[in-house]
Amino acid sequence: MTRVLTTRGDAAPRSSASAGTTGDAPRSSPIVPLVAALLVAGTLIYIKTADLDAIETRSLAIGELLVRLAEHVQLVAVSTVVVVALGVPLGILLSRQAAGPLQAPVLAVANAGQAIPSIGILVLLALLYDVGFAMAVVSLVVYALLPVLRNTMVGLRQVDRSIIDAARGMGMGSRRILFTVELPLAVPVMLAGIRIALILNVGVATLATYTNAGGLGDLIERGIVFYRMPILLSGCLLTIALALLVDWLAGVAESRLRPRGL
Amino acid sequence: MSFFDYVSANSEIIGFLLLQHLQVVLLAVGFATAISLGVAIGTERLPRVRAALLATSGTILTIPSFALFGLLIPVFGLGVAPTVLALTVYAIFPILRNTVTALETVDGAVIDAATGMGMGSGRRLRIVRLPLAWPVILNGIRVATIMVVAIAAIGAAVRGPGLGELIFRGLSRIGGANALNEALSGVVAIVVVALLLDVLFLLIGKLTTPRGLHV
Amino acid sequence: MSEQSTPGTGTRSDVMISLRDVSKRYSGADAEAVRPLSIDIERGEFLVLVGPSGCGKTTTLRMINRLVEPSGGEIWVDGKNATRVDADELRRHIGYVIQQVGLLPHMTIGENVGLVPKLLGWGKDRIRQRVTELLDLVGLDPDTYRSRYPKQLSGGQQQRVGVARALAADPPVMLMDEPFGAIDPITRGHLQDEFLKLQARIRKTIVFVTHDIDEALRLGDRIAIFDENARLAQLATPLEILTNPADDFVRSFIGDGAALRRLALLRVGDLPAVPGVGIRDGVEVEPDETVSAVLEKVLAAGSDSAVVRGRGSLTVQDMLLATAVRDESAVAT
Ligand SMILES: Nc1ncnc2c1ncn2[C@@H]1O[C@H](COP(=O)(O)OP(=O)(O)OP(=O)(O)O)[C@@H](O)[C@H]1O
Ligand SMILES: [Mg+2]
Repeated sequence: MTRVLTTRGDAAPRSSASAGTTGDAPRSSPIVPLVAALLVAGTLIYIKTADLDAIETRSLAIGELLVRLAEHVQLVAVSTVVVVALGVPLGILLSRQAAGPLQAPVLAVANAGQAIPSIGILVLLALLYDVGFAMAVVSLVVYALLPVLRNTMVGLRQVDRSIIDAARGMGMGSRRILFTVELPLAVPVMLAGIRIALILNVGVATLATYTNAGGLGDLIERGIVFYRMPILLSGCLLTIALALLVDWLAGVAESRLRPRGL
Repeated sequence: MSFFDYVSANSEIIGFLLLQHLQVVLLAVGFATAISLGVAIGTERLPRVRAALLATSGTILTIPSFALFGLLIPVFGLGVAPTVLALTVYAIFPILRNTVTALETVDGAVIDAATGMGMGSGRRLRIVRLPLAWPVILNGIRVATIMVVAIAAIGAAVRGPGLGELIFRGLSRIGGANALNEALSGVVAIVVVALLLDVLFLLIGKLTTPRGLHV
Repeated sequence: MSEQSTPGTGTRSDVMISLRDVSKRYSGADAEAVRPLSIDIERGEFLVLVGPSGCGKTTTLRMINRLVEPSGGEIWVDGKNATRVDADELRRHIGYVIQQVGLLPHMTIGENVGLVPKLLGWGKDRIRQRVTELLDLVGLDPDTYRSRYPKQLSGGQQQRVGVARALAADPPVMLMDEPFGAIDPITRGHLQDEFLKLQARIRKTIVFVTHDIDEALRLGDRIAIFDENARLAQLATPLEILTNPADDFVRSFIGDGAALRRLALLRVGDLPAVPGVGIRDGVEVEPDETVSAVLEKVLAAGSDSAVVRGRGSLTVQDMLLATAVRDESAVAT
């Protein structure tokens, strides 16, 4: 099982590597938001200038686009908040000594979970329960919980034992040690996990259109169904711009929130 | 109809899609491996180019797959081509990252000794660095493969081949008799493919890791 | 071949390695890592480079096989200008041993030792035979160790393999960078002894780096001592260095135990003994035993003199006096 745990061989997006040794520091290159801005500007100019038919005009009206964007952002924001609120405390609980026997199976499930396609979770939950926003959020949470949970556990676990021993030697209690030693030292890995969750959410939310939860994926789907390239392209480009921007912001936040000296 | 009844009744189509899925994934991973090794080796003396390509391939990984699949449609149409291409692009980062890291972190003393005995850079790469880096490279390929198996499901949204079709068909029959069974068979089959490939890579790793590294 | 030449002192056939005003300044560094340095190393000579950390020993050594390109000067190896020949070809004829050994972990001991011969295009049988011979030479049973992997060997054994590998193609020159540095003192002592015996047989030209002055005194025919500013403070035989340190730096570098070390270097056969067997209860010793060993024996036996076989007798006082005499260098060389 240890084999799946190596940070280096992590299947999740790039940011997981920043906890490793690849020199893959959280990037806050100004190129990324620039590219995102260019994508948005290009798309908007294209929509304004292109010769669009009725379906295209309706789908690409600025109000419509804003609605889709808002849906998308809502899906991502709500599910990410829930994921963090659930994943971090759960990860901390599971990393306590009393939960010892649970750790390995949970990590195994978390890693195996990567093999489940996101669209599968979304569709199964829709078929089992319901379509719409709430169920889409549940799907996103289920899918993105794993990296947060895993990174919280791994982050806490990789804290140098000798530092904890030293803290204990100074007379700190285990709660004190958790908050003043373990958590701060685990923060970089935990942040990386949260960033992964965020990126996954942006991605999976594009599929929420299939379960009537809207989002920018709506445009892509409509573009495919009606075979309208302007709608398809606009949807894709705006989605990509959003993803790049979110990842960039997450990267900036990651390097800001990281305790100094680590 | 129970899930198992459904699966046995439809084993032929499921098996067919499973093979398709496997083919697409292996094709993409094969391309990605060739590209990654080529880039990693070709940029050894161009550290900036290497860093830029690595960062780019990492950034690409943050692009939602549905959007990337869609983006390729105007150029490649629907079907196999955009699917394989998108999967290839996604598979590059884990492989490239591991290859670069592994080649860069081969024990300096070993390289030094190899140079000292008169091996040129080509020989050093072939005889020393690649064999030593191989387990880590292979792990990158494994990770990329598992990841791509899941992403390939979304290929069905652009009429791509593979097991994703079962999921989307189930969805389109929402409320219908076997909708859930159909989608579930797709999901389960994908997880099975992923686990099988995982085991396969473990075996390959065992067989191809130079003996001296795990004695 | 036309590039034959006679550097400064030695005659053409005597000199194996000739450093001529060789210097090195790493890009970005303000001081030279190696200041212009000229040394002629004779065929079969064992030269030790010694000095504090950072004084440029490794750099000097690595310029000889061109793992580091000199910034100035020339290096001649076996009558050829080393800076003008193909570097890989040059290296295949120079054995190179480093502290971390650097055995290829994915190859067996046999494959490691046979690597350079393979690079040189030797046939399978010849390589196999050579590997057997070399493993024997460095004291590792070929049958036991040939098919093992580096990880299955102790540090000392790995270092023996490192030496065997460097000797594989029978290079006339060996460069050794703190080869025994990472090994416990007892094993290191053994390895030094064995290596001296080995060298007595194979007579390679050896440039050996260490920061351990005792190791230098024990192994070297000549020793080059560098100070922390990369200045060559003294180049001389061990005895000369002990008896005539060139300056305060050398004096402090060889340390307070100098006189004792000298006892450990001098052989009783080299001291002027009184011919004939004058004293009855002298302890019988061989001429090639060191003065310190003999002193120990004599004192342990409660005697006050030794009888050196074939030479004559020596009193404890004789021995102590001999080591105190300053200008004794001629005796040892
Ligand atoms: N590749 C390099 N690039 C820049 N500077 C270097 C390089 N290698 C060595 N130096 C510098 O050159 C000087 C001499 O280094 P060198 O390794 O030759 O010393 P040394 O005598 O072998 O030391 P030690 O006993 O610690 O091995 C040092 O100041 C070192 O920092
Ligand atoms: Mg050195």
